[in-house]
Amino acid sequence: MDIKSIAPATKAPRPRPLSPNIQIYRPQLTSVLSIANRITGIVLSAGAVGLVIWLCAAVAGPGPYAIVQHAIGSWIGRIVMLGLTLAFFLHMCGGIRHLVWDTVHGFELRSIYISGWSVVAASVALTVAAWAAGLYLGGWL
Amino acid sequence: MIIKTADQVSRFTWLKRFPIPRNFNVTLESRIEPGRAWPATAGAIRKKAFDIYRYDPDSGRNPRLDRFHVDLDDCGPMVLDALIWIKNNVDSTLTFRRSCREGVCGSCSMTMDGTNWLACTRFISDMATPATIYPLANMRIVKDLVPDQTHVFAQYAAIQPWLRSKTPKPEKERLQSREERSQIDGYYECILCFCCTSGCPSHWWNGDRFLGPAVLLQAWRWLTDSRDEAKDERLDNLEDPFRLYRCHTILNCTRTCPKGLNPGKAIAEIKKMIVEREG
Amino acid sequence: MNRQSFRSPLARAIGLGAAKRGSQHWMAERVMAIALVPLTLWFVASIIAHAGSGYTAFVSWLRTPFAAVGMILLLIALFHHTALGLQVVIEDYVHSGARFAAVIAIQLGCYGLAVVGIIATMRIAFGS
Repeated sequence: MDIKSIAPATKAPRPRPLSPNIQIYRPQLTSVLSIANRITGIVLSAGAVGLVIWLCAAVAGPGPYAIVQHAIGSWIGRIVMLGLTLAFFLHMCGGIRHLVWDTVHGFELRSIYISGWSVVAASVALTVAAWAAGLYLGGWL
Repeated sequence: MIIKTADQVSRFTWLKRFPIPRNFNVTLESRIEPGRAWPATAGAIRKKAFDIYRYDPDSGRNPRLDRFHVDLDDCGPMVLDALIWIKNNVDSTLTFRRSCREGVCGSCSMTMDGTNWLACTRFISDMATPATIYPLANMRIVKDLVPDQTHVFAQYAAIQPWLRSKTPKPEKERLQSREERSQIDGYYECILCFCCTSGCPSHWWNGDRFLGPAVLLQAWRWLTDSRDEAKDERLDNLEDPFRLYRCHTILNCTRTCPKGLNPGKAIAEIKKMIVEREG
Repeated sequence: MNRQSFRSPLARAIGLGAAKRGSQHWMAERVMAIALVPLTLWFVASIIAHAGSGYTAFVSWLRTPFAAVGMILLLIALFHHTALGLQVVIEDYVHSGARFAAVIAIQLGCYGLAVVGIIATMRIAFGS
């Protein structure tokens, strides 16, 4: 008679379930602006790669440079550039907000919310201003 | 739009949850099934629907979401009153922690309408219809709304939350000026309800190594206490890419603290103190 | 009992102990961020000012010492900040052994691209 019939192996007890977190937690200005800062940072990393490609095209000569400029100037290129501009200003304004927090200022809830909405407003305003200036100086407006 | 104090519930909810799949990153044993619809009591005129997370460890089933209808004329004004009413009148197996019913013990912390708060200080009238009640987010669940807080309390013990002295103890009390005593104001009042830690996305993704806002706030409480003599060892124990530096100042913690405390600020003070000692 | 581990909760919370470093990484990211504010604003303003102009105008602008130095500083600060920031993102979300490999790949990629960009800038600035 082997041990298995006297002492049957017990099943591993059922693991306790984990309560839902991001699946049900409410998006608030705090978490939304924070993830936006991260997403814009990742987008800008791709933009940094694009910057190097652009510089390499310029080194290669007027031909490759014209190809890259043509791609940027196409309507899909312009949408990408608009997205990159908005991402840049959001990340910069959000970054400045973070730098202020690192000096241990602006942590009261009221200040957090006012600075948060200011970041959103400033980013949109700066994007519009930058594009207006660019389109005007480039002769398209 | 501008939140001035944490107890402010925004009248308008832009988004109830992030637009991701309902079962994103959810393991099989944690998936929530549709649950029972409990009938309203007879003669109830003013009713409110409550969707409540249920889990029975003895049933071998997955957690589920039950719907109850609470008679508001028979029930007190707070969400905890509704839970007690349900337990008394509809389903006595509904399980939840509670004690003081006045917001000082920290037992009844849970996720209500997607934000963490104490059930005894959350008004039913501030809740959506149907009101959704989940246990504290990202915790292992013992039963129904009771989370297993073993790990977060172990993290609390790991920061050695007691007075550490190196000089021999004085004859009478350890002296502290009024100014020095005011340094721990805003930090000693923490009731360890873990609403903040449970609402921190960094703790969701790295909770095994990241200490979380509640523990770090207490770490600051001991760092800033003038009677403590182990600042050097405390800072050594905190300076770690995961224990402290998983905090990216998301600030869900400050938004959700039911006692109005500011864990985000405490963590920023710790980071500042670490940089100060480097030069 | 059939638990997988009998380690106490305190032992699990303490883990391997504190690394006693991390503040330099945090500080470097912020120093680079402070440097990037004027550098990126200068870059964006230059792009806007030269909107619509052609290859020769761009090259003669990059040949000016101010623009060449600015572009090189921008590339250094940008890729250092990017490397540090992406490292934090990977540490947050990747928990398997792939984390070390991913972080190393990011560092090499960022600094490699920075060098490529700097060489390109110098070739334009010093070229004929």
